[in-house]
Amino acid sequence: MSGLLATRRRTRELPERLSALDAVVTAAEGRVRPELVDAARGVLEQAGQRMRLSPGSTVVALAGGTGSGKSSLFNALSGSALSTVGVRRPTTSDTHACVWPPADAGPLLDWLGVARRHVVPEAEADPALHGLVLLDLPDYDSTEARHRREAERLVGMVDILVWVVDPQKYADAALHERYLSRLRAHRAVTLLVLNQADLLTPDAVEACVADLHRLLKADGLGAAPVLALSARTGAGLPELRGVLSAAVAKRAAATERLSADVDAVVDRLAGELAEPADGQALGTVGRKERARLREALALAAGVPVIEDAVRRASLARTVAATGWPFTRWIGRLRRDPLRRLHLEAPAGRSSLPPPSPVARAGVYGAVRGVVDAASHGLPEPWARAVASAAQSSEADLDDALDSAVTSADLPDTRRVRLWERGVRLLQLALAAVALAGVAWLCALFVVAWAQLPDPPTPDVGPLALPTVLLLGGALLGLAVAGLSRVVGRAAARRAARRVGAELRRRVDDVADAHVLEPVKDELQRYVAAREALRRAG
Amino acid sequence: MSHSADEPAAGGGLLPRLGALRAALDEVDLPLELPGADAVRAEARALAGQLDDYVLPRLRSIEAPLLVVVGGSTGAGKSTLLNSLVRARVSASGVLRPTTRAPVLAHAPADAAWFTGPRVLPGLPRETGQPGSPGSPGSLALVASPAVPAGLALLDAPDIDSVVSANRELAAQLLAAADLWVFVTTAARYADAVPWSLLREASGRSAAVAVVLDRVPPEAQQEVAEHLAAMLRDEGLGDAPLFVIAEGGVHDGLLDEDAVAPVRGWLHELAGDAAARAAVVRRTLHGALAAYPERVGRLATGLAAQAAAGEALQAAAAEPYAAATDRVDAALEDGSLLRGEVLARWQEIVGTGELLRHLESRLGRVRDRVVAAVRGRPAPGEELTVALESGVEALVLAEADRAAEQAVAAWRAQPGGAQLLEAAGPGLGHASAQLRPAAQRTVREWQGGLLELVREEGAGRKATARVLSYGVNGAGLVVMVAVFASTGGLTGGELLVASGTSVVGQKLLEALLGDEAVRRLAAKARADLRSRLDSLLEGERERFTALVPEGLGERGATVAERLRGEAAAVARELRSAR
Ligand SMILES: Nc1nc2c(ncn2[C@@H]2O[C@H](COP(=O)(O)OP(=O)(O)OP(=O)(O)O)[C@@H](O)[C@H]2O)c(=O)[nH]1
Ligand SMILES: Nc1nc2c(ncn2[C@@H]2O[C@H](COP(=O)(O)OP(=O)(O)OP(=O)(O)O)[C@@H](O)[C@H]2O)c(=O)[nH]1
Ligand SMILES: [Mg+2]
Ligand SMILES: [Mg+2]
Repeated sequence: MSGLLATRRRTRELPERLSALDAVVTAAEGRVRPELVDAARGVLEQAGQRMRLSPGSTVVALAGGTGSGKSSLFNALSGSALSTVGVRRPTTSDTHACVWPPADAGPLLDWLGVARRHVVPEAEADPALHGLVLLDLPDYDSTEARHRREAERLVGMVDILVWVVDPQKYADAALHERYLSRLRAHRAVTLLVLNQADLLTPDAVEACVADLHRLLKADGLGAAPVLALSARTGAGLPELRGVLSAAVAKRAAATERLSADVDAVVDRLAGELAEPADGQALGTVGRKERARLREALALAAGVPVIEDAVRRASLARTVAATGWPFTRWIGRLRRDPLRRLHLEAPAGRSSLPPPSPVARAGVYGAVRGVVDAASHGLPEPWARAVASAAQSSEADLDDALDSAVTSADLPDTRRVRLWERGVRLLQLALAAVALAGVAWLCALFVVAWAQLPDPPTPDVGPLALPTVLLLGGALLGLAVAGLSRVVGRAAARRAARRVGAELRRRVDDVADAHVLEPVKDELQRYVAAREALRRAG
Repeated sequence: MSHSADEPAAGGGLLPRLGALRAALDEVDLPLELPGADAVRAEARALAGQLDDYVLPRLRSIEAPLLVVVGGSTGAGKSTLLNSLVRARVSASGVLRPTTRAPVLAHAPADAAWFTGPRVLPGLPRETGQPGSPGSPGSLALVASPAVPAGLALLDAPDIDSVVSANRELAAQLLAAADLWVFVTTAARYADAVPWSLLREASGRSAAVAVVLDRVPPEAQQEVAEHLAAMLRDEGLGDAPLFVIAEGGVHDGLLDEDAVAPVRGWLHELAGDAAARAAVVRRTLHGALAAYPERVGRLATGLAAQAAAGEALQAAAAEPYAAATDRVDAALEDGSLLRGEVLARWQEIVGTGELLRHLESRLGRVRDRVVAAVRGRPAPGEELTVALESGVEALVLAEADRAAEQAVAAWRAQPGGAQLLEAAGPGLGHASAQLRPAAQRTVREWQGGLLELVREEGAGRKATARVLSYGVNGAGLVVMVAVFASTGGLTGGELLVASGTSVVGQKLLEALLGDEAVRRLAAKARADLRSRLDSLLEGERERFTALVPEGLGERGATVAERLRGEAAAVARELRSAR
């Protein structure tokens, strides 16, 4: 009926599981309760040490309340009187060890911290028990707190746990609540012995064993075997010996126990790394949230203000270059709206206004939207980690945005375009024509005033040529100026759009670097932790 | 049974005092899940239970039979001992642990009247079924037995240490109600930690205790008995009678007659000796009462902790909302709300002479509408209103969101906060769903109220009339612009960007309304908006503060005061009775 080491779950993969657990710890540190991280670290450390120390040996501990007969059983199994059996409770206060050959259990026992050792001579040893290290623990339920601490320490380290109970104590809360119900992961390395069966009738023994099975099921240890025996009469001892020798022969108890430790800590970690709620896919920030964030940052960076300034500057240049030469000097009196923003100064801050509270509110809301979307369904501490990843750089955002904007390559809005040059020449020519008309008309006027003979003046249609020159030059100049303004307006809009696109690209980079990347990293951390946990579990 | 009302312990003032204490205990309310609150709640329950089960009934009828509770570990043989004492199997015993789930009380037939009613242990319904059959849990089986001497009743209690937690709780209740505790243990169990913690507690309140050490192997008798006696002495129980019952087997469920003879003899002697009985009663009762000031002190400490935690939670929620209110106020104050979208709209209006047109002609409004229809977008004046509205709304929403987030984080770190958040469900981390519509409504109401303000301000009848002649929209716009433009919170750059237009606007308004009036009006309108927005945020904060039970601190302090007062009065009565 041995259920001991019956499952042999994944013990072969223990090293992989341990390294996966290590990965979980690395990824989840700071995102799960610190005591869990400590517990996982403890398991890793203990596993590393135990696997280095005669992993083929099987350390079996007899644990139980005071007076249940641990020492009697220890003596009966080892065929000796090593451990004192007493009537005064509690009796045993130091752990005793009995080592079966082929024994070099010294370092192992050093690690276990067990000083009182006995080696069974090769000649007397039952070969079936070779490789066994048997421990007689102090009790866990007497008034001696020191005993309880020692027992608890070793219960956490040994390979196989044999819980020795008796008809009086088998249902004690101290046993079930403090130990058995917390060791459900260790069911494959747990065995219960109902000692002092000689005090009960066979029927009563059967009833007690059945009752104990019921309690174990409630503890989550339904698979743990129960043996009824009597250390005093020796009844049932061969069965226990058989179970132990089978377990020793498998040489897998150490890995099995460590595996159970990993199970236990993985179970606890799984509680804090729960599946995202309602099965939603994780690790994505939707297109909508991203767009909202970028728009909010662009607004905060003053992109619309710059766009507008570029548009107006560009238009002002066109007007200055191609306007009617007689009036265009007026435009020069205005300051260049773009230069007023001091965007060209790469070292200092620009003169862009700081983001308005409304723009800031927009940024906060957009970042929050990203966080909410990203952390939907995440366990609470992870959601908090996502939030702080996204918001940690909120204070730097102003500067980051400003430097993104100032370092942008803005087109030189003052450089006169080729077509504008052409138009300017044309305007000059037209102005010259108009002026020539004026001069001619003046000359004619002077001639008329001096009452000289009229020089021959060619006519164009009903008008005289100088009049045509003057009116034509002026009107054409105005028309060209108007036309250029229309073209310039379109060009200005295009320039503004180009600048806007370039600025938005830069702002998007800021959004990525300061908000989206940190969030993505955090989500990846969660996914990595879950993935590692799956490999560890 | 001669010692009745003149018994010192029953001294006149004690009963009413204890009644008042009992009533005050019902008021003890510990709603916050603080560390240690469970222990305080349990203490309050235990105290009330002991008053109901034991102290009050004992004081009311000091002559009632002694209640002897047989208590101890499971399997120690408590039921077997009781059966052996009454020479009948009145309480089931068995090999399965634990056996006894419902207590069994054996009394002399003459004493039946003391126990059938709810005088003692009123919470346990009486059951008088087949003796020896397992009683239903939660009830008290009564057995009249001629083997029990009059003046004393024996109660077989459930165990104190098995996996069945209901047994442990019931046992604790029964032990607190005992005049005398007969602690039953065995050679295997006598050093167990659980019973010793109870013994220590009993010793601390100097309750009367007797010890029966059962199942002692004959060869171990002396060593074990001596060891146990030494342990008892160490815990201040050296005067407790110790009976050792040697392992002699159980026959028909009963122990050998001569094995239990010493215990029976002692009990009979006690029952027969009224003075000794009275001494036992006095000792346990005084011990219990003497502990009350300290126990009540623990309750008061627990209540104070609740009050402090409630206050800390309120403060933790108030702080981020106060900061949010400050930021909203600052944004209104320094005119920076006018930046961005609002500024652009403002420019559009002033820069294009829209404002003047808007103000100066009724025709303008008609034309506006035509233009709006042609261009497919609302007139600039309307756009400015919308921009302002959505600016204020966005600001308030974001600040409320931020404050909610911070308040949740602060509560999570506070004792008791996480559990309140849990109970409130999700959503507390964000601004409430109705905040957005509420903010919109608020801004609109504020705008609606602006005209009223102009009228009140009475900036010269003529000016008012002039402003009002622009119609509701126009006038609202005038004042709104005044509110945000007159603060001059814009940076030089922005003013330049706005090409000085806001200054132009300001001048225009001043010309219209008068310098002083504009300033006054703007200040008033701003204060109005601010108080409206502040009360919005206050509503948001109340989502948190309403979770902390109202008046927690005052009620707790009153109850603690009452408890302390009554306990002190009890102590005084006790001293004067001695
Ligand atoms: N009848 C009977 N008595 C037993 C049996 N096993 C042990 N005992 C007795 O139980 C008592 C306690 O035995 P120990 O072996 O000292 O018990 P322990 O579990 O080591 O106790 P501690 O060292 O105090 O924790 C002794 O008096 C033993 O003789 C048994 O199988 N049957
Ligand atoms: N050998 C022996 N067995 C006893 C003695 N006293 C009790 N028992 C047996 O121990 C078992 C438990 O006895 P109970 O009287 O039911 O113990 P209890 O203290 O009432 O236990 P709970 O009701 O579970 O708290 C029964 O099987 C009894 O027959 C004794 O002095 N000697
Ligand atoms: Mg021992
Ligand atoms: Mg019983």
